Amino acid sequence: MRSNNHIGLLALASFFAACGSAPAFAQSAADLLNDPKNTQSVLTYGMGYKAQRHSALKQINRGNVKNLVAAWAYSMTDQTGLEAQPLVHDGIIYITNHNRTAAVDGVTGKEIWRNNLDYAPELLRIVCCGIVNRGSALFNGKLIRTTLDNRILAMDAKTGKEVWSAKSDADYTKGYSMTVAPLVANGVVITGVAGAEFGIRGFLEGYDAETGKFLWRRYTIPAKGEKGSETWPGDSAETGGGSTWVTGSYDPDLDLVFWGIGNPAPWNPRGRKGDNLYTNSIIAVKPKTGEVAWVTQASPEDPYDHDGVNSLVQAEIKTGGETRKVVMQAHRNGFLYVLDRATGKPIAVNPFVEVNWASGWDYAKGRPIWTDVTIKAQAGEKVNVFPSNYGGTNWFPMSYDPSANLLFINTNAMGMEYQAPEPVKVVAGQPAFGVTTKPIAPEFRGHLKAVDPMTGKAKWSVPFKHINTAGTMNTAGGLVFTGQLSGEFMALDAANGKLLWQFQTPSGIISQPITWEKNGVQYVTVGSGIGGVYAMRVAGPSLGNVPTGSTLWTFKLHGK
Amino acid sequence: MFQHPRAALFLCALSLFAAGEALGQQQTAAAGENIYDMNCAQCHGEKLANAGITFDLKRLKAADRPRFENSVLNGKGQMPPWRGVLKESDIEALWTYIRANANE
Ligand code: HEC
Repeated sequence: MRSNNHIGLLALASFFAACGSAPAFAQSAADLLNDPKNTQSVLTYGMGYKAQRHSALKQINRGNVKNLVAAWAYSMTDQTGLEAQPLVHDGIIYITNHNRTAAVDGVTGKEIWRNNLDYAPELLRIVCCGIVNRGSALFNGKLIRTTLDNRILAMDAKTGKEVWSAKSDADYTKGYSMTVAPLVANGVVITGVAGAEFGIRGFLEGYDAETGKFLWRRYTIPAKGEKGSETWPGDSAETGGGSTWVTGSYDPDLDLVFWGIGNPAPWNPRGRKGDNLYTNSIIAVKPKTGEVAWVTQASPEDPYDHDGVNSLVQAEIKTGGETRKVVMQAHRNGFLYVLDRATGKPIAVNPFVEVNWASGWDYAKGRPIWTDVTIKAQAGEKVNVFPSNYGGTNWFPMSYDPSANLLFINTNAMGMEYQAPEPVKVVAGQPAFGVTTKPIAPEFRGHLKAVDPMTGKAKWSVPFKHINTAGTMNTAGGLVFTGQLSGEFMALDAANGKLLWQFQTPSGIISQPITWEKNGVQYVTVGSGIGGVYAMRVAGPSLGNVPTGSTLWTFKLHGK
Repeated sequence: MFQHPRAALFLCALSLFAAGEALGQQQTAAAGENIYDMNCAQCHGEKLANAGITFDLKRLKAADRPRFENSVLNGKGQMPPWRGVLKESDIEALWTYIRANANE
C-alpha cells in the first residue's frame, strides 16, 4: 500500500494567507458546493464536485425522449476537436476550444461574446493527442481556463474581458502544454499539465482564484534525494513524465482534491527500472497548499502508456454493512479502483475490460500482480497486451448513478502487439516513445457499459464498431447520454442500455454532454467536432470520412 | 523458366545492383517511418492511415516533392512548421516512406 502522509515533494510557496479575499467569495464558493443540486446551472467540470455527471432533472425521460429536438447550434469556427465540457450559469453557456472562449445565450444560441487566443504555430509539434481544450471553471463572476502555451486566464463572465492572467513556469519547447479544465477548490484554481510523451516532469499548480497569484507547485515526480526518487535510476526522473491532463474532483468535507497522475516517460521502461513513483497514481492534495494527504499507485513501472489520468468520481457506497465514502477511477490499465477517500486505501480493484498484463490486485502489498506478459515486456520481448496503449478507457469521463450504484463507462476492447527493443534516453521536449506497437482490433472495439463499481462487472453492455471517445452523463429521467465518433448523439435507457433516441450531428462527438433548466424547460447541450488521439491516430479509414468542424448543440422536448 | 546462361548472369548482376539500390531505399523508408511515428502519426494517423480528419499524405504525387518540403518546413494552417527540427535528410526519409505507401 502506497499511502503516504509526508512524501517530501517540493511545494514552492504558499502566499494564500496574504490575499485576504475569503469573505468576498463565500457566496460563490457555496454555489460551487451546491452545483449538483442546483439544476439551473452547471458550474464545475464533472457537474458537481463529486464529478458524478448525474442530474436530478427528469422532464426529459425514458418515456418522452423520442420527442427531443434541436433548439439551436453554434459554430466554433474551427476544424479541430471540440473536447470541452460546457458550463452554464444564469442561462448562459460557456464553451472553450484550443483557441476560442465563447459565451452563448442558452435559450436562443446567440453569441454573447467570443475571445480568440494566439500561440506560436510550432507549439503544435508537442501536442501529442489532439489540438484541444477540455473546458473551464466558474468562480465569482469569472470564467477561468488554461491555454496550450501554459497560461491561466480569468475573464469577466459577462463581458469576456480579462480579469487576470497568469503564466505557469512551464516551457512548451520542453514539452509542457495545458489542455485541462481547471478546478476551483477552496478559492484556489488547480491546474495540471500534459506532455509525458515529450519527457516533462509533471506537476499540479494552485493559483488564487481572485487574483491569479501563484500559490504552489506540487511535482508528481520526486527530485533527487527526495523520498520516492530511489524508484528512478540515474537521471531518469528529471524527464519522467507523470502528467496531469484530466480534471480531478474535490471533497469539501475532507478539503482534499483528488487527481490522476499519468504515464512515465519514455514509454519504453528499460532505462527506468523501478516503481517510477508517482506515475500512474491517484493523489490527494490540500487545495490551499498542495500538501499531499495520500498517493496510491495503480501501475508501477508501466511499459504500456497506461496513462492513468482518468476521471475521479466520488460516491457513498454500501458494502459489508457500512457506507463508505469512496473515490473511483476506471484506469486506462483496465482495472476499476474504488478507494477510501480519506486514506486512499483500495476497497475494490477489479477489471472492467479484458486485462492480461496483471492477474489482479495484491491488497496486502498494495500493487498489481504482474503476469508473464509484463515480465516479458519489461525484458524487451514481443508480447500481446490487453488493454492497449489506448487503455480500457481513455480520458473521456465516466458518470455515476447514485440510485442504481452504476458507473456508465465508454470502454475500449483493443489490445496491442508491443515491444521495447532497446532502452532509450529522453531529451526534454522531444518525443519519448522507444517502443513498437501494433493495434489488435476486435470487430467491436467499443462498448458502453453499466458497471457495478465493487465487482467491475457489467449489468449491460452495448457494442460499437469504434470506441466512443465522448463522456457519459446520466439523469433521474432514467437516461444515459453519450456520442459516437461518427456524430450520433444518443440517449439510452439507463436500466438496460436500449437506444431510445439519436440525432446525427455534423461531426464526431468527443465532448461531454450536460443538462440544465431555465424557466421550467430542461435542455441538453453537447459539442460536436471530431479530434482527439483515438480518432486522429488509430481509427483509420474504417471510421469513414467523418467531416470536421466544431459546433455546439442544444436540445429540448418538442413544443417546450 | 528456361534462360540462356549468359543472360541469366547479366540479369543476376542487374538485380544485384537493383537490390543494392532497393535496400538503400528500404533503409531510408524505414528511417522515414520512424521519424513519421515520432512526429507526424499523432495528426496524420498510424501507418499513414487516416479517418479523413487531417490531410491524407498518401495523396501526395511524385511531382509534389517541392510542395511537401515547403509545407513541412513552414507549416500550414494547424500543421506546425518543422524548420530547424527536421534535417534535409529527415525530410528525404519521410518523403521516401510516404511515396513508398502512396496511392499513385
Ligand atoms: C499537430 C498536428 C500535425 C502534426 C504533428 C503534423 N501535421 Fe501535417 N498537417 C496537419 C494539418 C491540420 C494539415 C492540413 C493543413 C491545412 O491545409 O490547413 C497538415 C497538412 C500536411 C501536409 C500537406 C500540406 C499541403 O501542402 O497542403 C503535409 C505534406 C504534411 N502535413 C506533412 C506532415 C509531416 C511530414 C509531419 C511530421 C513531420 C506532419 N505533417 C505533422 C497537422 C499536423
